[in-house]
Amino acid sequence: MEFLFGQMLGFAWAFADLVIDPWTYVYLISSVFLGIVFGALPGLTATLAVTILTGFFGNKIPLDYALIALLGAYVGAIYGGSYPSILLNIPGTAASAATAMDGHPLAKQGRGAEALGLTTTGSFIGTLVGTVALLIFVWVLLLISKNIASPEKALLALFGILLSGTLMSEDLAIKGWIAGLIGLALAMVGMDPILSEARYTFGWSYLLSGIAVVPVLMGAFAVPQIIEGLRHLEVGKMIEVTGRILPNMAAIRRYLPTIGRSGVIGTGVGALPGVGEDVAGWVSYGVGKSVSAEGDKFGKGSLEGLLCSETANNACIGGALIPLLVLGIPGSPPAAALMGAFKINNVIPGPTIDPAIILRVVAIMVLASFTMFVMGLFTARVFIKILRVPQTVFLPLVMVLTTIGSFSVGGGLNDLYLMLGVGAVAYLMNLLKYPIAPLVIGVILGGLFDETFRRTLLLSDGDLLAFVSRPGAAILVTLNVALILGQLPIAKRALTRMKGRTV
Amino acid sequence: MDRLEKDEALALAQLRARDFWSALVLIAIALFFLWKTSGLSLGAHSGAGVSSAGWYTSAAVVPFGIFGALLVLALVLLGISIRSGGAAQAMSGLGLGWNPQEASRIGAIGLILLCYIVGLVPRVDFILGSALLITALICGFHGRAGRGATVPVLALGLAGGFALLAYPQQSDWAQSGDDWMTLGLLISLTVWHQYTGARDRALRLTPVLALGLPLLLICAMAFGFRQNVPNRSGLIFSKIEYTYYVHLRPLWRS
Repeated sequence: MEFLFGQMLGFAWAFADLVIDPWTYVYLISSVFLGIVFGALPGLTATLAVTILTGFFGNKIPLDYALIALLGAYVGAIYGGSYPSILLNIPGTAASAATAMDGHPLAKQGRGAEALGLTTTGSFIGTLVGTVALLIFVWVLLLISKNIASPEKALLALFGILLSGTLMSEDLAIKGWIAGLIGLALAMVGMDPILSEARYTFGWSYLLSGIAVVPVLMGAFAVPQIIEGLRHLEVGKMIEVTGRILPNMAAIRRYLPTIGRSGVIGTGVGALPGVGEDVAGWVSYGVGKSVSAEGDKFGKGSLEGLLCSETANNACIGGALIPLLVLGIPGSPPAAALMGAFKINNVIPGPTIDPAIILRVVAIMVLASFTMFVMGLFTARVFIKILRVPQTVFLPLVMVLTTIGSFSVGGGLNDLYLMLGVGAVAYLMNLLKYPIAPLVIGVILGGLFDETFRRTLLLSDGDLLAFVSRPGAAILVTLNVALILGQLPIAKRALTRMKGRTV
Repeated sequence: MDRLEKDEALALAQLRARDFWSALVLIAIALFFLWKTSGLSLGAHSGAGVSSAGWYTSAAVVPFGIFGALLVLALVLLGISIRSGGAAQAMSGLGLGWNPQEASRIGAIGLILLCYIVGLVPRVDFILGSALLITALICGFHGRAGRGATVPVLALGLAGGFALLAYPQQSDWAQSGDDWMTLGLLISLTVWHQYTGARDRALRLTPVLALGLPLLLICAMAFGFRQNVPNRSGLIFSKIEYTYYVHLRPLWRS
């Protein structure tokens, strides 16, 4: 009880500190607006919104304000993706793909305003559920993580890369692992963290300081989208929204258990390293369909189906921040971009993070969700108009934003060349169905993995048993091995047989 | 088998054929970097004033693991591809997935981005270079079908190529010849686009967006965030910077 009271008091101080600062509103309103615009425009994603703002605000304003801008954009973009899903049947972001299943049929029935009102409310409650979970679990995990040492850190980093590779791959899981390994390999460039020996610099002094995170983020997430999106497409006919966009309180009350369940699922999925909002939306939708009494109506314009996906994808944000803040492992691709912002501000998320940052993040999330809710209800018509902007007009502007954002982070022209190179590779990987998120997570966690892996060996005089001698490390080794073995055909066949027996 | 299943089977066959090529590339990369890693000392040694304790602290340990794992996974992928018939189709049109229209679209975008990043950003005024990029991309890919991107690619290629060839050394980047060239090409491309582009609101907005956004961004970066910006000696930005520091800033500083 004392712990909870202390938490609430700390949060109240952080919230009050935020509320009385007028600059908060400048950054919050503009970033949430920008986030919703990015989410609403098909072809632009939440990851891209956070990445571009990392280039702009990452190290140019104090971290306190940078966090407002980045988290505001993150919350706004995940919500904004619901607009084209409902009105155009095109998900604005991957996170809102499940929203289209019921949102668009509702809009076709002339209930577009009701659907938008419900997604706004669902997203708002979902973000709050995720934030409450963040406030509680981050401290519990931080207490546990005090016992985490080098072996556990190395194995956790490996687990994050393997898990994101497994879950983010559309095709074979090994493609995700290969992408993660390419990211790890990129992180090996430069001076090694223990002996300061130069690796893979090919005589280019720029590479001595290693591969910079922001150009990699820009190259991996922005350039492929620009190349892919610059094509002449006829945008589908937008369904007109009639009536006022207001939350349907009767439906909210009726589906409160669904909202609660979806919030918990979204937070849980978000807390898995490297797994993003799209997975959260689909998992929650799938669970909702199987447990709901109205499951047969899912996909035909069900309000419950709509709430399942929209609540979960926004709840995922709070969940994704838990491993980021506690372990320094991003819980989703946009969280990887946030990690980039922490990195360029020399803040190391993990057990040693300043508790004030965590409380501020929670306070920002609450304020951002309120801002999103108000904007969603009162300025929705503006975002509906923005939907009409073709991506062939918007993407060239994104390219210029990306260029100046990447240039000004520190490395100048070399960062731009790196961004272009990574962009070309990422585009090819997209074509060949290799996921990009594990690559970025590999780049971000590569340094940590290298340092902690070798430090473990150094402290144990090269004894590899150091990775299984501690209980935490042994559990993580088991999880890593299980994750790899679980993808073997023989294991998959055994799992299928077991499922067959239980059905 | 219905049409959807047939399409899915075709897409999978194409993917496996492409996997064959990507696996070969990955094997080559893994082998190259394993060889490169072998140049790093693996035993106990002294360097940069630090003595390593043994093989386990060597800078090569983790890279050996990474590239070794990459090699193994690439071989597994190659095996999957061969078993699924990817190798047999690798040289066919299906395997390569060659689509001339798509290839020319990607080639045009790639060339435009390359000319912009390598040629224009370092040498040409950022506002002019970015305005040319925005105009070229909107002009080439908004509402034009077929070979619509040829003229924009030529414009960017000419501007970027001229800047790169005429001012290769960093000491020459402050000169304005390439700025004037870019300005001329920007005006020409804008006029051409206004006459031949699709008649919609985007057409009228293109010049405003092309000049307005880079102007806003560079001013915000340079004077708002006080950050490094590309090519401070550019034709337009140098005038803005001079006016800001000599005429405007003293007004509120005093």
